[in-house]
Amino acid sequence: MSELLKVEQVAKAMEGLGTVDAMKPNRIRVATTPAKVKEAVQRALKDLKCDHVVQIAAVDNGKSFELIYNLTGPHHTVVSILLELPRDKPEVPTASDLLPPAGLYERQIHDLLGIVFVGHPNLKRIILNEDWPENEFPMRKDWKPNPNTFYGGVHTEEAK
Amino acid sequence: MTLSQRLANWARMKSPWITLFNSGACNACDIEVIAALTPRFDVERFGILAKGSPRHADILIVTGPVTRKQAPRLRRIWEQMPEPKYVIAMGACGAFGGVFRGLYHVVDGVENVIPVDVFVAGCPPRPDEVINAVVACLGLLKEDLARGGKEWRAKKTKVIERVEAKEGAQPAPAKPSEAST
Amino acid sequence: MTEVVVPIGPHHPALKEPVNFKVVADGETIVRLELDVSYNHRGIEKAAEQRDFVRVVPLLERVCGICSHSHTTVFVKGIEEAMKVQIPPRAQYIRTIVAELERIHSHLLWFGVAAHEIGFNTLFMWTWRDREAVQDMLEEMTGNRVNYGINEVGGVRRDLTPEQIQAALKRLPHLEDRIAKYRDMVNKEATMMIRFRGVGKLSKDDILKLGAVGPTARASGVDYDIRKDDPYIAYADVPWQVITDTHGDVYGRTLVRIGELQQSLQIVRYCLENLPAGPIKITTPRAAPRGEILSRYEAPRGELVHFIRTNNTDKVERLDIRTPTLANWTSVAVSLVHQNLADIPVIVAAIDPCLSCTSRITIVNERGKKTGEMTWDELSAHGREFYRKRGRA
Repeated sequence: MSELLKVEQVAKAMEGLGTVDAMKPNRIRVATTPAKVKEAVQRALKDLKCDHVVQIAAVDNGKSFELIYNLTGPHHTVVSILLELPRDKPEVPTASDLLPPAGLYERQIHDLLGIVFVGHPNLKRIILNEDWPENEFPMRKDWKPNPNTFYGGVHTEEAK
Repeated sequence: MTLSQRLANWARMKSPWITLFNSGACNACDIEVIAALTPRFDVERFGILAKGSPRHADILIVTGPVTRKQAPRLRRIWEQMPEPKYVIAMGACGAFGGVFRGLYHVVDGVENVIPVDVFVAGCPPRPDEVINAVVACLGLLKEDLARGGKEWRAKKTKVIERVEAKEGAQPAPAKPSEAST
Repeated sequence: MTEVVVPIGPHHPALKEPVNFKVVADGETIVRLELDVSYNHRGIEKAAEQRDFVRVVPLLERVCGICSHSHTTVFVKGIEEAMKVQIPPRAQYIRTIVAELERIHSHLLWFGVAAHEIGFNTLFMWTWRDREAVQDMLEEMTGNRVNYGINEVGGVRRDLTPEQIQAALKRLPHLEDRIAKYRDMVNKEATMMIRFRGVGKLSKDDILKLGAVGPTARASGVDYDIRKDDPYIAYADVPWQVITDTHGDVYGRTLVRIGELQQSLQIVRYCLENLPAGPIKITTPRAAPRGEILSRYEAPRGELVHFIRTNNTDKVERLDIRTPTLANWTSVAVSLVHQNLADIPVIVAAIDPCLSCTSRITIVNERGKKTGEMTWDELSAHGREFYRKRGRA
């Protein structure tokens, strides 16, 4: 079995990209910025030998949006790359050229939270139905369904 | 009734064909319906066949709380079925949305989209209960055939107003429904 | 060459869930795949923020009816980690028993569905009949055949009596026999060999690049299994091994699943025979302290991940679920290119899609003219015809 990564190894690989801390023996977090996130992912794939993307988590913490890219590899340590996005302009470069499964994950996040992944080849609707109105992002903390909006389903005219 | 009508009625009673529609369910109900086709419960010995196309089916079994995406499609599938047709709404989800009641992408319950004849309780209902529901439908079918159709049922369930948002929406008027299993 | 767009579904009786495929085909060969699966989205993640830890567990159980125990276990173990509590060993063993029984029932279900896709309905009936033995065991232990409701934060809700343990142990030898027979069948049965071998092949590099998980990945030699990489509940105590294969095609995935069936039976037997005594739950605090947990679990279909943020209340602040089928879809799209239309049902079935977990997927292509329509049943039938005409199946 491979050894777990050590905080020092990760800090050396992520030199200049942000702060590194160990959340658990097998989970190390790197806090970086939207401008540097692709570089961080690139270094995780190359220098830290990560080869599997576990999840791209997206959180609305009330004040801003956070994206957490979780990667792992033969060392069985999860490298979590965290970044924060401003609420009024949540844009971040896409990771789908480095991580092909991110193509689907980013579309889902865009549908539910409205984060824009710049450079994504196909940022279309994927998880909400086709009648769902634009610019309504249900997973945002301040979203509430509007009683006068039609969100999809059956109209009365169709139902008898 | 003419001889050919009596023959057709006998064939309908002896061999009801079902079709299954998953309107966004967790699949537990679907698995239990398909388990009813397998050797332990074996509904085929009753003449019940699962057909793919709604145009060939007598009974539509709907699982799931009906997501917003599936609601128009469920309506279309139901309209494609020829009379006499019956609808069985499976489980807690089919009755009122189940655990998913009130979620933003769900139209709570099958009754908001198409009229339902039989509700089956459970989460999920056992295959035995599914067979029981199909037999209940056959009972309804027998009565309707004797009276020349479904119109005599004064207490037929009506489809209610569209449900789009949970806040501000009027609650559905309570309506009597047919045999609940 | 003209490209034909063949939309398939969203209503097909054989598969359990609604899926809409649009396949761009050049004659019989597939050029691109368009997949629309937003039919099952219900909005569970938002509801989880509004329900406390007791009420959210039944909701998460019904994310998927086939892997319901997976979702509840990964969630409650994440919350227990946030609360920094350890559940008693007896509870860990009971969770493991139910988890492995769920894996057995899920793999047998898959096997039946895959057999049905190639027209081998007898095997479908046999595997589902054998599956009933597992359902009986689950019903005796937990009270329900599906959606067991055995988990809660702090332990399990029901205990196993000695009679239940004996009854369960009595059912295991028959299952072991049947699975050995299926293993033989996969290696000797002509139809299965033709429909499964060489179909949907993906190399180890492709699998890693495309992010596939579970038996789909292990069939290409990728050695990731969360039960070994990040052990939880009782897996560190029980002797078992990870099953991998090198074929990389549907045949390899079948072999991996059959191997896992045998390992699961072994784990269940060990846990039943060595169940530690003691309590089955502990009292936990009502609220979970502020924290962030990445909880991972090896569901029957692959790696299931719950990302949980807690905030000193009795509800989660954020629950982000990444299901194994969502991770596997990209590999399906890629492995279908240059294959035959006739192989779509088998390749899709080989990742064991649990679409209600995934709740939608759209891999759309830009252009496409509709010149034909097929239901899933028709596509399956087309597959069987195609291979029969070739004179071999």
